[in-house]
Amino acid sequence: MFTELNSILSSSPDSVTPGEFILVSDRQSDASFLIHHFLSFYLRSRCKVVFLGLVQSFRHYSAVSQRLGVSLTQAKEKGQLVFMEGLKESLSVLIPQADNTESQAMNFLRDPPVGLRSLYEFVRSGAVGSGRAEDGAEEWGPPVLLVDDVSVLLSLGVDAGAVLDFSHYCRAAVCSQMKGNMVMLVRCNGEEEEEEDGEEGAEALLKGLTHQCSLNLHVQGLPTGYCKDIHGQVEVCWKRRQGDGPHTQRNLFQYKVHDKGASFFPRGTSSAVL
Amino acid sequence: MLSELLQGIETGGLLIIQDSCSYSGRDLLRSFIAAALNREEEVHVLCFDVSEDELTDGLKPPATQRLHVHNAYPDPLGWTDHPAFAVQQFRLEDLTDLVKQASQPKPATLVIDSLSWVLRHAAPPAVCRTLQQLRKGGAVRAVVALLHADMHQRGTVGSVCHLASSLVAVAPGPKGNEAVAKITKRSKSGKVAQDEETFCITEDLTVAVLSRPSSLPEAKPNGSEEEQADPTANLTFNLRLSESELEAKQKLTLPFVFSKEKKTALLHPGPGSGRILYEPDANDDYDQEDPDDDLDV
Repeated sequence: MFTELNSILSSSPDSVTPGEFILVSDRQSDASFLIHHFLSFYLRSRCKVVFLGLVQSFRHYSAVSQRLGVSLTQAKEKGQLVFMEGLKESLSVLIPQADNTESQAMNFLRDPPVGLRSLYEFVRSGAVGSGRAEDGAEEWGPPVLLVDDVSVLLSLGVDAGAVLDFSHYCRAAVCSQMKGNMVMLVRCNGEEEEEEDGEEGAEALLKGLTHQCSLNLHVQGLPTGYCKDIHGQVEVCWKRRQGDGPHTQRNLFQYKVHDKGASFFPRGTSSAVL
Repeated sequence: MLSELLQGIETGGLLIIQDSCSYSGRDLLRSFIAAALNREEEVHVLCFDVSEDELTDGLKPPATQRLHVHNAYPDPLGWTDHPAFAVQQFRLEDLTDLVKQASQPKPATLVIDSLSWVLRHAAPPAVCRTLQQLRKGGAVRAVVALLHADMHQRGTVGSVCHLASSLVAVAPGPKGNEAVAKITKRSKSGKVAQDEETFCITEDLTVAVLSRPSSLPEAKPNGSEEEQADPTANLTFNLRLSESELEAKQKLTLPFVFSKEKKTALLHPGPGSGRILYEPDANDDYDQEDPDDDLDV
């Protein structure tokens, strides 16, 4: 959890704004440090977290979270965290083993055009478990869905429209119905105006998700090129904010990722410059 | 022109609000809903993109009695068992039934939020046909739809927008809470009027038109500062002319420009000018076919 980012977003683990859909996007840069932030943030705010890790193994997220002061293994044991390890699950779909009680979540791999209904149902069942305390189990706050990252679904053969449907259903269930939050990472590697064949789906997905989200964190490299002390810039764009009038608001910050966190500062005020 | 549209759309009209990632047209759409409700009209909303609460947030209770929200947001594709309205039902018959269920004598205004959802799941020609039938059918008085233009192919957006009697394209304005609307209005006589206005929407969903930015330099949608910079600004030499220099420049005739005097002088040689007379003698081996025959090439 990065405290500086919390003050920028005016959020704290004690009070989670209900019904928020945060879209983390990056273009020719890496925004996964924000996913680690949100994972530790929501675990600390005692939300029930459903994590779809499609890019890395559980061990990876666990190791990074350890550095940020949160134990994923414990959270999983306590039932706070539902972790879907996409890499393992997809393997069990592709190479079925007799004694494997596989979940239905990754069933779309067999026939991508069918859509992501099975994945949505997995998310829903994972999120519904919150609030209802079983005997002796702890009670958790509103559900949170984290996806790292949705662009992988495109590479797995699902088309952008189906991913948008999936995110729409997740938003309707998690954000609107259960008053929880949702964080999705989407990556785009092409240039902004360029329309290559391979990038068309990713562009369409980014645009569609931008229309759906309530807060967009867009991470880019520095336009002036690589710099040792500034790793890139993040554009924070609120679509709507309660009591702030109906308009979008944009802010641009530069950031540097450290070993155990990240620092954010207004443009041109890096300690290396001043 | 925007306030004119807010005061009412003609019967059988189709108004499309076009927006993009950078500015959401939903607030303007909500203003249209609020304006229609204030005129005591019945309003039916097909709600795909946002939840009912989010859409009706800010609308006053007495007016909301005339608002009928058909909430397709939780389940637009029928993944659960009982969807209120699914995207497959976007057909004339179903929509007419839906509007008639409210059993109001007055034809209502139909609001679609957003057409992009429908276009993603139905074939564009079918959607266009349904929209056209709705306009002519008489069940609804007018249709107001939101379209996320950057989510579709240009051809799809074009064909849907051709159907519209009024088109409002919104883009972010120069200041934070302001936006620019480009309005195209086609009247029944076939006349097309275009206008561009800056507006802002207050919290009670009234639209304040600020100015007509026709005098302002046209802001490019994604124009960065570098694009707007004048390349002739900091040159080491002078590209501009003062008035006296311009006058002197215009007085000058260029060497190969034929003036009248020059032309007449060349065409009608004066009496004093010489002529060359040549009579070939017998030794001259002059070939008419190849005049350069004697050259040693």
